[in-house]
Amino acid sequence: MSTLATQDIYLSSFAQLEAKLPGQDAAWLKALRLQALEQFKQTGFPTNELESWKYTDLSLNLLKVNFTFETPASTTVISSQLKKAGFDVERVHLAVFVNGRFSEELSSFKALAKGVMVKNLASVLANESVKAFMGKIAVSQNRAFTALNMAYFSDGLFVQVEAGKTLDVPIHVVYLSSNGNQTTQSHVRNLLVLGNDSKAQVIEHYWGENVSAYFTNVVTEVAMAKGSSLEHTKIGQEDIKGYHIGSLIAQQEEGSHLISRLFSLGGALTRNDIETTLSQKRAECVLEGLYLAKEKQHVDTRTFIDHLSPNCNSTEVFKGVIDDQATGVFDGKILVRENAQKTDARQSNKNLLLTKEAKVYSKPQLQIYADDVKCSHGSSTGQIDEEAIFYLQSRGIGREEAKKVLVYAFAGEMVERLENSYLKPALKKLVDNWMEVS
Amino acid sequence: MLIIKGLKARVEDKQILNGIDLTINAGEVHAIMGPNGSGKSTLAHVLSGRPGYEITGGEVTLDGKDLLSLSPEDRARAGVFLAFQYPVEIPGVNNTYFLKAALNAIRKSKGEEELDAMDFLELVKAKLKPLRMDESMLQRAVNEGFSGGEKKKNEILQMAVLEPKLGILDETDSGLDIDALKVVADGVNALRGKNRSFLVVTHYQRLLDYIVPDQVHVLAGGKIIKTGGKELALELEEKGYGWLTGEKVKV
Repeated sequence: MSTLATQDIYLSSFAQLEAKLPGQDAAWLKALRLQALEQFKQTGFPTNELESWKYTDLSLNLLKVNFTFETPASTTVISSQLKKAGFDVERVHLAVFVNGRFSEELSSFKALAKGVMVKNLASVLANESVKAFMGKIAVSQNRAFTALNMAYFSDGLFVQVEAGKTLDVPIHVVYLSSNGNQTTQSHVRNLLVLGNDSKAQVIEHYWGENVSAYFTNVVTEVAMAKGSSLEHTKIGQEDIKGYHIGSLIAQQEEGSHLISRLFSLGGALTRNDIETTLSQKRAECVLEGLYLAKEKQHVDTRTFIDHLSPNCNSTEVFKGVIDDQATGVFDGKILVRENAQKTDARQSNKNLLLTKEAKVYSKPQLQIYADDVKCSHGSSTGQIDEEAIFYLQSRGIGREEAKKVLVYAFAGEMVERLENSYLKPALKKLVDNWMEVS
Repeated sequence: MLIIKGLKARVEDKQILNGIDLTINAGEVHAIMGPNGSGKSTLAHVLSGRPGYEITGGEVTLDGKDLLSLSPEDRARAGVFLAFQYPVEIPGVNNTYFLKAALNAIRKSKGEEELDAMDFLELVKAKLKPLRMDESMLQRAVNEGFSGGEKKKNEILQMAVLEPKLGILDETDSGLDIDALKVVADGVNALRGKNRSFLVVTHYQRLLDYIVPDQVHVLAGGKIIKTGGKELALELEEKGYGWLTGEKVKV
C-alpha cells in the first residue's frame, strides 16, 4: 500500500468511526477532532525530506500496513506479570489500558488525597481542565501523528493535581497491546495537569504481546504550573511486531521541574518525541533516556527544548546500545531564544555499537539567540573497548560475560541513576534480560 | 610449574620471540630483564593470551596443562595472572563487583562454591591492609582516575584475591615512586610461597632489590642470552646491556 492510500484510509475512516469514539456529547471535542483531521490532511504523513524524519522512513514499513480500528479485548492478568517483572505493584496506583481502552477490572487505585484526580480520560471529558488544556500544548498543526491522535484517540490517562497537593505514590499506567490475528492500532492520549507547587510521579509503560503487527500512537500532554514538579518515566516494551510513535509535550511555568526518562527497549520501529517549553523563568527540565535495539529494530528519539525565558536550566543525557543490524537515531535540539538570558543547557548523547552492521545517527543541535548563556553538547559513538574485554578475561571472566559487564557498565548508568526504588529493580532486570537474549 | 620450550611469536610480520626456553619451578621467582624491544613484554602478553600475537612455534605448559590452546579466561582459571604494565580503566564497573565476578568465575571453574557478598567483602578487606589501600577504593570504578601507584596496587590486590599459581609482573615498577614501589614489592613478597611462582619482567634492577629473584634471565633479540643468580642484575646495572649484546645500549 502506498503512503497516499494509507492517508486516504485515515481520512475516510473517521465518518464511520466517529460514533464509537468517546465524547459524543462534547461539541468542543467533536470540533477539535474534525479540525485535527483537517490539519492531518494538510500536513500528510512525514517523509524523509523533513529534517526531523530524515533517518526514519515510514513509507517502508508503518505506512504500508492497513491497521484495523477494531479493538479486541484481552483477559491477561497484568498485576502478576508486573510483579514477575520486578514491579512491586502493591505500592502504586495501577491503571491498565488494553488496546487503547481503559480496563477497570485490571486497574487498582489506592485512596487519593483531596485535590488529586486520577481517571481515564474518556470518563472526564466534561472536566473544565480537560477542555482548557487538551490540544493547547500538544497542538495538532504540523504534527501529523498528534493530529491523528486527536482525531482518533479512544482513551488515556488523566491526572490533575491541584495547587499544593501531591500524588503521594507513583501511578503506573500499563498500555497493553494484544491482538490475535488482526493487525490493530490504538491511539492513546494522556493529559497531566499540575497546579501550582503540586507534585506527581507517572510511569507510562507500553507493553506488547502480539501475534500480528500493531501500531500504537501516543500523545502525552503536560501542563505544569508555577513551582510544580513531575517525574515522568516512559518504558517502551513493545514486542517485535510493534510500531510505536509517541510524544511527550510539556509546557512549564515559573520554577517548575520536569524529569522525563525514557527507556526504549522494544518494537520493530519506535519513534519518541520529547518536547518541552520553558515558558517562564527558572523552569528546569532533566531529560534522560536509554534506547536499546537489536536485530532489525529501528529506534528514533527526538528531543526539543525551547528556552523561552531567562534563568532556566535543561540537562539531557541519552545513551543508546545498538546491536545486530539495528539502527538508532538521536536528534536533540535546544533552542535558546533572545529573551532566555542566563540559560544553562547541557546535552550529551553517547552510543555503543555492538556490531559492524549496527548504525547510529546522532544529531545534536544548538540554536542560541541570547548572549549570556552556558550551553554545551557532546555526542560520541564507539565500540566496546577490546582492551577492557581482555583485562576482564585475564581475570578469569569469560569473553561473553565480559562484554555484558561492559555493555551494562555503559547502559546501566541510566538505571543506576534512578533513585526511584519502585522502578530500579524492574528496569535493571529489563536491561539485563535485553543483554541476555542478544 | 611453568615450562616454556622453543617459544616463537610474532606481531603481524615482525618476529619478536625467537625460541624461548624457560622453566620456573613451584615457589621460584624469575626475573626477565633486557633492553627495550627485546621481547620482555611480548613474553608476558603471550603467556596471558593477549590477542594480536601469532605463536609460530614452541609450547608452554603450566603444571602439565597446555596454556597456548586456552582462551585468556581459561588461562586465568588455570592459575595465570598478569599484572598489567598499563592497567585498563573501566568506567561504570565497580571494583568490588569486578573482583567478586573474577574470583567467583575462577572458583566456579574449579567446582568450588561461589562467595556471597558478605564473605567476599570480609576476604577483600583483609587483603587491602598490607597494601595500605583505603576501603573506599572498593566502591570506585575499576582503575578510573587512579594514580599510577593506585593502579599498580590494585593489580597486586587482584592477585592477592585471585591467588594464582603463576604471577607475571609486567614492568610493575614503571611509574612508581620509591614508597609505592616498596608497598607493591611487599605485597608481592607476602604472596610468595612454595606453590606460587613469579615471572618478573623489568627493565631496571631497582625492583629486584625489593623482590629478590632466584634467577635472572637476560632477553635480547627474542632469546634468552644469559641466565644467572640475583647478582646478574647488579652486574647489568653496572655494565649495561651492551655488555651482553655487543651493542651500545643505554640502560
